Amino acid sequence: MVPSLLTERAGLRPNARFLSAFLGARLLGYLLFAAVASEIGALALKLPAPRVPLMGGVDVLLACMLVWYAYSARHICGQACSGSKLVNISTSRDRRAGRAAALGLLTGLSLCPPFVVAGIRAAQLGSVVQALLFFIFFFVGTSVWFVPFVGLGCVARNQAVIMVARMTMVLVALYYLSLGIAMLIGRKVYG
Amino acid sequence: MKLRAKLGYTAAGMTVLAAMLTPFLLMGLFTNGVAALGLHVDEMYSGGPGVRTIQSGAYSINIHRPVFPHMLQRDQPFVQLDWKPVSALPGRVSDVVDLDGDGKPDIRVSFDVPKDPKATLRVDVESLNPHYEAMRNAGKEKYSRLIVRVDDAILVRVPLANP
Amino acid sequence: MASNACMPRFGNEAPRSAGRAVLLTLPILLWSLLMFFHPGGNTGRLWLIADGITAVFMTTLFFMMMRTRRTYRWRRWFFVSVGVLFPIGFIHNVMAMRGTMGIPIEEMIAGRTPFCFMPIPLLILPAAFTRTIVFPGSILPGGGMSGSGIASMVGLWLAITLVIGKGWCSYACFFGGIEEGVAAVPKRAKIRKIDPRWRLGPWAVLMAMVLLSLGLFESAYCMWLCPFKAVSEYVAARNTVGLIQNGIFMLLFGGLVIALPLLTKKRTQCSFFCPFGAFQSIFNKASIFEIKIDQTLCKPCALCQTACPTMSLSNESIARGETLMSCMKCGACVDACPRKAAVWHIKGTEVAGKPERARLMFLYAAWAMAVMFGGSIIAQGIATILHFLA
Repeated sequence: MVPSLLTERAGLRPNARFLSAFLGARLLGYLLFAAVASEIGALALKLPAPRVPLMGGVDVLLACMLVWYAYSARHICGQACSGSKLVNISTSRDRRAGRAAALGLLTGLSLCPPFVVAGIRAAQLGSVVQALLFFIFFFVGTSVWFVPFVGLGCVARNQAVIMVARMTMVLVALYYLSLGIAMLIGRKVYG
Repeated sequence: MKLRAKLGYTAAGMTVLAAMLTPFLLMGLFTNGVAALGLHVDEMYSGGPGVRTIQSGAYSINIHRPVFPHMLQRDQPFVQLDWKPVSALPGRVSDVVDLDGDGKPDIRVSFDVPKDPKATLRVDVESLNPHYEAMRNAGKEKYSRLIVRVDDAILVRVPLANP
Repeated sequence: MASNACMPRFGNEAPRSAGRAVLLTLPILLWSLLMFFHPGGNTGRLWLIADGITAVFMTTLFFMMMRTRRTYRWRRWFFVSVGVLFPIGFIHNVMAMRGTMGIPIEEMIAGRTPFCFMPIPLLILPAAFTRTIVFPGSILPGGGMSGSGIASMVGLWLAITLVIGKGWCSYACFFGGIEEGVAAVPKRAKIRKIDPRWRLGPWAVLMAMVLLSLGLFESAYCMWLCPFKAVSEYVAARNTVGLIQNGIFMLLFGGLVIALPLLTKKRTQCSFFCPFGAFQSIFNKASIFEIKIDQTLCKPCALCQTACPTMSLSNESIARGETLMSCMKCGACVDACPRKAAVWHIKGTEVAGKPERARLMFLYAAWAMAVMFGGSIIAQGIATILHFLA
């Protein structure tokens, strides 16, 4: 998310808007998961067999999303722009919000162990409403960590910063791609 | 000479002096400073601090505090147990262990102790408490689920099922 | 005494007299003797010979720097020696203690993984948040391959960085010499045009590794991207992910450390990839020594840009009279400039006022560090070779 934020426009408001879309979609992912958890029960969540390929698939999707984000940011221009052919931000506000939301949804569905444990707890609560409420509080507790990232709006955006952010996204994407492929192949994942 | 130049040369001279002092003073100072920060190696590697020891004849079982993953670490929480000394272990170990100190057995751990210290170890863990996961013929799968020999101890890590 | 006419001339400047060069070298000679033959140091015939050879080697190189008034070529001899001899000494130790270059999980659990300086920037945030070092080593000496421990390496890094800033990459890094040696092999570069945006690579790798290390609580660079595992040690692959990791490091070593330096005559791993180098660039701002371009003398011929192994001189930076943040203070540009426009400089003083004085002060500091750290690595490597020959 950090490199994605750095390719957006400088300023606290644009960053806050991006973060809101990201967190909103992440909450949606959490609530979807809560609903699934309470319906299919804790037992299904404990089973590693369906969970691991699902995690692998989400990782591969996340990697593709990050690469696409890095590619689509190639026309984004920082302070050093000149020339009438280039516009400052080539994409519309809606498209930026869409990208942020997609990232948020995919990271929200990332089935890390604390997330699965929360899912098991939610499944044991007995009702969908309780499960949803549990995950809302889980979301609030984990989202507190994202708030300081609004401060990235204060980082100056120039060609160098944007290029570094794009390269970073590709590197992180390669990491998730490697992990995702390893999980889909079905071998044991390194501890 | 202007003041800035004097300051520059002074700083450069002090840098040369710092270079001379590095092996005798600076390096030790910085090393002790880092050591005094109270940092510790991640418990995912170290297994966490030991909290209880159970004496079982000639050998003992050291039980560590449960280790929980940080942030996005994808591993499970686990508890580590150490059997030591290896020389005092029988050919086959099968111990029932109370991990949480509540007086009730939580797991049964069974493994063979080969004479060759480099031989591969395998462990079976029977879960007597739903908080702990069973393991069958587990080796060195991941940090949260393994059996290894480290010096004169055999370490077993049992994942927590429902922390 | 050899006449000055016998010494090769570099540009229009006459070499320094041998007598004066010896006088200037005396402090380094004394320093070398102190570093290698102090009480409580290495004992044994093999070590005495290795230390002696190293002391003579380092002192001779410094003498040549003083005599010829050139830095880069002699410094390169030292740096390549460290790059070649470090793997020899290190791998020998690893094989003697463990019997394998692959780090078994038992050693990681026991905290006996040797700590190198590369993961330092990645450990800062996890340590700041949770007081946890996300590296399977020991804070203090823990036996086996843990060496002097994490605190000792961090202390050493802090001390050397305080003295020479990003000069670490030219006088202390025990990996950079490999590609510097490879880059010196071809007479001409086959690839001469390199997109300057690749210079941003190290910052991207640094950011990605810092974020991944913080999120995953592991030293992500060591696990996934370090090319130098090919000449030191690596985590033994136990599953598919381990195989992928080992495949990546072999590809990176082959590409960034061997193939690209051969094709470009640049230190490509350092210039386009190394996250530690990006981190050290921050300390360049605080360093009192720097290289400047005297605008009154410079006729933009780009010889300095061609000579720079890390592309740390751009047209814009030359116009500003300075190098980029990535400058490693290797001295290549200073030695290459035919008009003496590229000069060593101490901040606050006049540019090109007394460049040789600035150079001398920098070299005393840098070479003292080089003898202390790099010299010990060279001695270790020589001792290992002598052990096999004996």
